[in-house]
Order: sequence, then C-alpha cells, then structure tokens
Amino acid sequence: MEHILTAEHITKDYSNHRALDDVSIAVPRGKVYGLLGPNGAGKTTLIRIINHITAPDGGVVTFNGHQLCADDVVNIGYLPEERGLYKKMKVGEQAIFFARLKGMSRREAEGALREWFDRLEISQWWNKKVEELSKGMAQKVQFIVTVLHKPSLLIFDEPFSGFDPINAGILKREILSLRDQGATVIFSTHNMASVEELCDDISLINRSRNILSGSVREIRERFATNQYSISFVGNPAPLVEKFAGRLQLGGLDNDGFATATVCLDSAADVRPFLGAANEAVAINSFKRELPSMDQIFVSAVEEYNRAADNAAQIVTEA
Amino acid sequence: MKNALGLVISREYLERVKRKSFIISTLLVPLFMVIIMVAPAVLMLMSEPENKVIAVIDDTGVVAPRLHGEGEVQFVNAGEPLDSARNNADYSAILVIGEKAIERPDANITLYSHGSLTLISSSYISGQISKAIEDVRLKAYNIENLRTIMEEVKVDMSLPVIDIDKSEDTATSAGLSYALALGTDMILYMFILIYGQMVMTSIIEEKSNRVLELVVSSVKPTQLMLGKILGIGLVAITQILIWGAVLAACSAWLVPFVANMPEAAEEAEIAAALSQLGDAGYMFSIFAWMIVFIIGGYLFYSSIFAAIGSAVDNIQDASQLTSVATMPIIIGVVASMSVINNPNSTLAFWLSMIPFTSPMTMMARLPFGVPVWETALSLILLYAFTLFMVWICAKIYRVGIFMYGKKPSVAEVIRWARYK
Repeated sequence: MEHILTAEHITKDYSNHRALDDVSIAVPRGKVYGLLGPNGAGKTTLIRIINHITAPDGGVVTFNGHQLCADDVVNIGYLPEERGLYKKMKVGEQAIFFARLKGMSRREAEGALREWFDRLEISQWWNKKVEELSKGMAQKVQFIVTVLHKPSLLIFDEPFSGFDPINAGILKREILSLRDQGATVIFSTHNMASVEELCDDISLINRSRNILSGSVREIRERFATNQYSISFVGNPAPLVEKFAGRLQLGGLDNDGFATATVCLDSAADVRPFLGAANEAVAINSFKRELPSMDQIFVSAVEEYNRAADNAAQIVTEA
Repeated sequence: MKNALGLVISREYLERVKRKSFIISTLLVPLFMVIIMVAPAVLMLMSEPENKVIAVIDDTGVVAPRLHGEGEVQFVNAGEPLDSARNNADYSAILVIGEKAIERPDANITLYSHGSLTLISSSYISGQISKAIEDVRLKAYNIENLRTIMEEVKVDMSLPVIDIDKSEDTATSAGLSYALALGTDMILYMFILIYGQMVMTSIIEEKSNRVLELVVSSVKPTQLMLGKILGIGLVAITQILIWGAVLAACSAWLVPFVANMPEAAEEAEIAAALSQLGDAGYMFSIFAWMIVFIIGGYLFYSSIFAAIGSAVDNIQDASQLTSVATMPIIIGVVASMSVINNPNSTLAFWLSMIPFTSPMTMMARLPFGVPVWETALSLILLYAFTLFMVWICAKIYRVGIFMYGKKPSVAEVIRWARYK
C-alpha cells in the first residue's frame, strides 16, 4: 500500500456552515504530510474525522486499506492544538493512564515511559503534579503521550506553538527520527518555514476545500517564476546595461556580497547570462529562486478567494 | 476498545477517593453528627451544679411553704423586704409573691435575679409555683383527697400502631418513620445535587483544561461521559456505605443502651421506635431502597448535569442551565415534605411515578410502607427514563464538548440532541 490513509470526498456540515466540502487527501506511507490553511479553514475538523472523533456527513476515510473504524485509534497518535493535562494528577500516573487508553499494559507503558522521560531529560518530573509544571514541560509530556504506543500514524496539530527554539528543535529532531523509523506524520501548522524543513507533501485547505495538493518540491516548481539570484564582487554596470529591465540590483547579503535578481525566460537564457556576468564581475553564487511556501500559501489562498468572491458576485448579479 | 470505559471509571474513582478532601469529609461528617447528638449531654454532665438560693417574700403566706427545692435550687424565706434582700449576696434570686397571687398569678408574682437563670432552673421554679397555687386552689373546694383523684383521672396515652401489611405484627412508630423519611430524603437530595454537580464541574474542568481532546482521541465521547458518571457515582456509593456502616455500628451500641433504660420501657412510642430500629430487616430494606433510588436519581440527574457541563465553558455560564435542572429536584424535596404527612395521597402517587421527582417522593413514602407494585412501577419508570436521558444527554455531550467560546441557550442545547 502506497498510502497509509486516504480521505475521499469528505463533507461535514455544522448547523450554520459547511466545515468541509468534498475534500480528498492521500497520505503516503512513511512521509511527513503537511496540512496547511488559514484559521477556520476546516483543518481541525478534518483531523478530528481522521481521528474518529467525529464522523463525516459524506465521504470515506480509508486507513491501512480498510475503512477507518474505532479500533484504529490504537494505531494513531494525536497531539491536538488545544492540549492540556489533568492538573491534579501526577505526571507519571497520567502518562500511564493515556498509554493504557491506547491499549498498552501498565508494565509496557511504564517501561516505555521511563525510556522517553530519560531521553527528554524530564525523569525528575515523574511524581510531580501537572499543575507544578511549566507549559513547555507539560508539552513535552503531551508529546511523549502521543508517540509512546508507537502508532503508525502520527498527527500533530500546531506542535511547535508554546515551545522555545531549543525545545522546538528537539521536537523536530524527534519527529524526523520517528519518520525514519517508519511512522507517517500528518502535520498541521501555520509556520511555513517548518513546512519547508519537514514536509514531503502538503495539502492546502481553504474555505472548506482542498485547493492545492502535492509534494512540496513539485509545488514550489509549479509556482516558480523564473527568478534567479546572483551574488558577486565587482562593478555590475555592464551587466545592468545588457539585461536592462530584467535585472534588478539588491543590497548586500549577510556575507557582504552584492546581490541582484534576474528574470530569465528559459534554461536556454541561463548560459548567456552567466557568460556575461562572468566577464563583468566575480560570481560568488548563482541559483534559481524557488518561491517560499509562505509566498505560495498567500498567493494560492488570495487567488482562490478572489475567484470565489467574483463567482459569487456574478451569481448574485445574475 | 472495551476497557477504555473501565479505565475512565477507575481514574475518576481513584483520583477522587485518594483526595484528602474526600477522606476528611467522609470521616468528619459522621463525627460531626455524633458530636451534635452527644455534646449537649456531655456539656450537661460536665457543668458544675451551682447552688441557687432563691429568697421568697410571700405576702399570701400559703405559697412559700409549698415550694420544695430540689438539686441546685433552694428556697429560703427572706424575712426582709425586697430592697434589703436585693443587696444580699447570698441570694441568687428573689421571688416576690404578691397578695393576690392565688387569683392572678401572672400579674402578682415576680422573680428578681442576678443575671438570667438557666432554662432548667426557671422552668423548675415556675413548675413549683404552679403546683403550689394549684394545690391552694384545690384546697378551696374542700373535697378530700382531690389531688389523688385528679392523678387517677389523668390519662397519658401514646398509641402503638401495628402494620397489618407485614407478615409479623410489629409495632411501628410514626415518629421514627417520619424521621427516617426525612433523613433518607435529605441524604438523597444531598447526594444527587452534590455528586451530580460534581460530574458537571469535572466535565467543565476537562474542557477548560483542554485535556478533553487528548482523551477523546482514544475514548469515545459517550464512553467518557458514562465513565465519569459511573466513576463519580461509585465515589458516592463508597461514601454512603462508609456512613451506613458507621451508623449501624453506632445504633448497635446505642439501641440496647436506650432499651435498658427504665423510662424507655414505659413509653409505648419509644418502645415501638426501638423495636422498629432493632428490626434489622426493616432498616436494611430502607437502606437498600435508598441506595436503589439514589443510584437511579443520580444517574438521571447527573446525565443532565453532564450535558450542561459539555455545553458551557465555565461554571459562571452554567448557572442558567443548572437552575433549570435543579428546579425539579427542589420541587421533589418540597413536595416530599407534604407527602410525608400524607404518604398515600394521589399527589404522592403521581409524584412517585414521574422520574423527575420519584426518587425524592418514594424515599419520603417508603418508611411508612408502600405497596410493592407501586415501588416496582416507580423504579421501572425511573430506570427506563434514565436510560433514555443518558442517551439524549450523550448526544448533547458529544456536540457540546467541542463548542468553545459561546454561551448556548436551552433551545440550542436541545437542538444538539437532534444532530446525527
């Protein structure tokens, strides 16, 4: 099976709005899958359906080749965006409780937990009550609870919110290592930098619909606008003259090199440009500029909304 | 996942039973009750008997010789006018009996006292005066042995009642039945309200802690709700059983003690109450019924409280909805007060059939004896309706727990129950 999870034509209605409208996604096994979208687009609803917390009004979710059922939650680990722990309960007892809910025995759970607690250096918290923990500490416990039963599908909803950069780094490292051990990760976030860093594939949900799906690489290629950037030392005047209108000078980069961006129509234009540049200045670097996920996110959402609003206007006018 | 329900129940139960507040309240309440019952007697025993010398200034000349001191109260003839007696430190009080005291005692007898007298002393003194004046008045009729005749004519009746519905003829005491009805009713009311609301707070807490979403990714919302209700219910049962055991131990020690007192045997009412109390089968049946009705009433109302808890974000928002849920409980208790006085009325019958009020009403009636078919019907209706209520409330709960940030109206909550 190529896909661990597919959701086909999922529809979910609430009393006064449609949260999901014919959304389909296919999550490849062993990859990190990004679920992106503006606030209120329907991501959390989709995640809840995948977690068997709510049922869709229409459509089918397939997990490991069969239709998703209640017993599958044992194979899923879910770290919700809105997360908390029982405040009055001790950390260790609480982690064991959650692990047992996922079908582990008390002994199994305790052994695995001790290992994870050592690994994330929080063993000394075992007998503390949750209310004594800092937010970051509680988040670590929640992360452990999510992954402890070694689920084949992990779902993280905004996992980095509330983490300092050091702990966020530890979390990223752990997520990637879980993927390398064979787990599939679904990862919902607004942080586009981490999408580029972690995700292999993405879906962009906007206004209850899936408006963009594919591998991160392929999507960035698709949105590429033939922009190249060059950094160099020397006088760029001859170059500016030759490529007037297409070349734009920038400031100095971090390493003190002068920079410029140039728009080249096709790969065939690259060689002549490089030749000319090589004669005029000493080239430090030259590369194709791929749009960031941030830019893609904004332009895809804006374009979709504009088109949808226009269509709506036409309908009203008609 | 079959054991998820068990896990939720055991977490709810253990977390609460292990809490200091539970242990303290479970132990303190019976202790407190014992203190309330025993303290007055102990205080009385401990207080030093203080001799009170009452100086009597008697203008009639016939009352003073008939006053007899007893215990701490002593009567002496003042032999001096009120003004000088007032300054005599030996006297605790001065009793002035005017000339016309025999005809109009209220207007002519006054007690001058340093500070106020205890209730016991003052009632003893007035009792002595009444007796003395009665005696003087009786003498005026010039009939021989009138006092003895009066004593012989006097009737002091307490009516023993035998319940003919029982196989064995045992005397029942209306007073004890009344006390039992009132007591069990109060316990029922307390438990339904306290533990029902505990379910609600616990759900609100889970929601505002945001731990909820983590839990429902492993447990179905319905299982979570049921687990909570059952877990907290078990805590309530634990508490009742502990109190029941304490009560049984106390009465096992107290009943023979009271029964051996000579006064007890003479009073038919007390004797009946004692035999009823000593009737282990009767007491056990009342206790068992109470548990059955508490469980039914608790399940019924706690599922309503669970639905309310799921619908709101914090306790403050819950008040409007809880008042809707508490109203029938209070109506049930208030109605029970009238039902106790008339346990077999039509009102009592219908209130015992409506599940909203039946636990309270039935507990008010059961100590007086209720036909078996009525009890059975009431229980069947209560439990059937409870199942229905749990089902409806689970539906509301399932929708409600994911609703954040808005305060729903009653109508909206009811609409949630109709969602698929």
